[in-house]
Amino acid sequence: MRGALTERLAPYVLVAPAVLIILVLRLWPLVLGVNFSFTGDGELNGTPVGLGNYVELAGDPLFRTSLRNVGLLVLLLPVAVAIPGLLATFIYLRVPGNRVYRSVYFFPAVLSPVIVGAIFNLMLGFDGPVNAALGALGVGPVDWLGDPDIAMFAVVGVHIWATFGMSLVVFLAGFSTLDASLLDAARVDGASLRQSIWHVIIPSLTRTIQFVFVTTMIGMLTSMFGLLFVMTNGGPEGSTYLPEFYIWHEQGQMNRPALASAASTVLFVVMLVVGLLQISLLRRSGRQD
Amino acid sequence: MRQQRWWAVLMVAGLAVTGCGSAARTESPSGESSQKQQEQKLVVWDWKSSEPAAADYIEKAKADFAARHPGVTVEFVAQPFDQYYTLLGTAIQSGKGPDVMLFNGGGQIRDRTDALLPLDQYVAEDKSRLAGWEAFGKDGKVYAAPVTLQGHPIYYNKALYEKAGLDPANPPKTWDELVDSCAAIKKATGAKCFALGNKEGAGIQFFMSGLGSGILTPQEYDDWVAGKRDWSSPHVRRIFELWKEAQDKGLNNDGANSTAMFNDIFPVFETGKAAHIIGLMSDIGHWKDFSEFLPPDKLGVMQAPVAVEGATPSLPYDGGIGYAVAKWTKDPQLAADLVRSLTSTDALTAFYAKAGAIASDTTIDVSQAGAAVSGIVQEIKTGKPALHVALSSKTLDLMGRLSQQLLSGSATVDEVVEQLAASDRAG
Repeated sequence: MRGALTERLAPYVLVAPAVLIILVLRLWPLVLGVNFSFTGDGELNGTPVGLGNYVELAGDPLFRTSLRNVGLLVLLLPVAVAIPGLLATFIYLRVPGNRVYRSVYFFPAVLSPVIVGAIFNLMLGFDGPVNAALGALGVGPVDWLGDPDIAMFAVVGVHIWATFGMSLVVFLAGFSTLDASLLDAARVDGASLRQSIWHVIIPSLTRTIQFVFVTTMIGMLTSMFGLLFVMTNGGPEGSTYLPEFYIWHEQGQMNRPALASAASTVLFVVMLVVGLLQISLLRRSGRQD
Repeated sequence: MRQQRWWAVLMVAGLAVTGCGSAARTESPSGESSQKQQEQKLVVWDWKSSEPAAADYIEKAKADFAARHPGVTVEFVAQPFDQYYTLLGTAIQSGKGPDVMLFNGGGQIRDRTDALLPLDQYVAEDKSRLAGWEAFGKDGKVYAAPVTLQGHPIYYNKALYEKAGLDPANPPKTWDELVDSCAAIKKATGAKCFALGNKEGAGIQFFMSGLGSGILTPQEYDDWVAGKRDWSSPHVRRIFELWKEAQDKGLNNDGANSTAMFNDIFPVFETGKAAHIIGLMSDIGHWKDFSEFLPPDKLGVMQAPVAVEGATPSLPYDGGIGYAVAKWTKDPQLAADLVRSLTSTDALTAFYAKAGAIASDTTIDVSQAGAAVSGIVQEIKTGKPALHVALSSKTLDLMGRLSQQLLSGSATVDEVVEQLAASDRAG
């Protein structure tokens, strides 16, 4: 009798830690945060304001800029995937010095965003070495981090530079599963480099490419804060805000925690949609194979 | 039997954890009863106490407090400044945290007075000895005692003046003279007129406050500080016109929007690449900070150049940083006494001598420190609160972004003034 009861309860006890951690440390704070986003700030602290915070967000040009920048990141995603893909292809095709490149390419991935940001702050400064080099070529100086039309691209560029090493490794792993005889056959048939990439390498690496797409997207949406904080602080003219940075700014600098909660909720929904899309994408590709 | 015990444990654990996470509270539940038996302890949050330059100051303040309250432990927790208000905001939300905390004057403390204890009854004796109280007050109550004064003197490089054949003892008195002098300096040395860092949007704040007393009439100035800000006045508009004009005439260093005020711009001034900088009085960007490259005899302080007839230049300054007491502290008298120790003459003298801060204590002797310092200290009596400190942090944030647009030419002065007026009216 007693043994049967224990046996019946055992599974519940065993899953309890995981379920409790999810409930107590994930879902419950999430519910609190969403609930908190319907209350006011400052003098209205704790009083319900309905959708007030969301209305304010919709009217805040800064928040709209931050969402637009998320869109920009999605548009730049193919570039962020193509760069490590191409470089991995060159390494796979054994360009001269490919062993050196393999470690050189990976090196930035071990640096923290703060250090990378500090390095590029110096490099991209108005009187920094990049502009000096441009000047030597006779090209006028570019205000990399001070021009609102350029700053976001500069930061994304640095982010790609700092993180493509990881994707490169994933690509190289993908290449190790590539059937070399296919490439040899293409070469015998007289295919050019571009034709071999397009007709042999890309179709063989579909799953790897999709995986890199998903991880790069996650990286871009969740780990740009450090770079933004160090390199532009959201500026110039608020042009490099991302939702995360906006949330930090409203919570910590503007003393608007409830508004920040509302922005967090919006970001959560955005991430949920992106995440679900990615899952369905991965599932579909899984089924194809 | 055993399962029942299991469930009880689970229930209790669940309740205990969920109980911790309730949303914003304005009042804290205080456990008064257990406190009496324990040894009394005060926790102080700041971003200063870990700096070597402040070590003497903290030591002196601690000694002063220990002499008055033996047996009370004081713990200083130095937080990183860039996260300070984020951490403090979290503490305020949960209604528990430090007993005493450091604040910047102006918007940062005014936005958070809900969580602070009015100190008027505790610090009455210090009122005349210390300067800079206004920056820590709201609605007639004082919420922190000033430690340093913060303001925006205009420093200039006397060596560059000499090279350009100008008299370093007689800096320009009007805006037009300043522009002429700068042209001469540019011609002779290649140096720019102003070292300006506006990456964080702080440059406009320094500009507005540093030059404001030369642009607004004394009446307009006082009204502005008192909260009666007339954004439609041509003189207020003139502040932003001059900001744009300085950029358009090439008076600023290149890349102002991508150069950080903290701390990329100060070297530009120190190394003679620009002749003037609207700097600070305490913390950084001040006379002692510059002294490594610019010895006291090469560093001058000038009054705001007059740009509008009828304006009377005055030193813009406020209480810089000050210690406040949290509402939830268990023994307000004790915490307030710690604040008084932190603003004692002995402690503040140590702060001035080691860190180069202009301390709030007006009885400190600064005659040894050179012309720039005595120039600043002389002006304290006639000085007025800085213009930008009167604005809310939301408006300052907006002003930072708009000022960048003015520099890059993507907004007009009219648009900027209009948006700022709207933000200022909304509070």
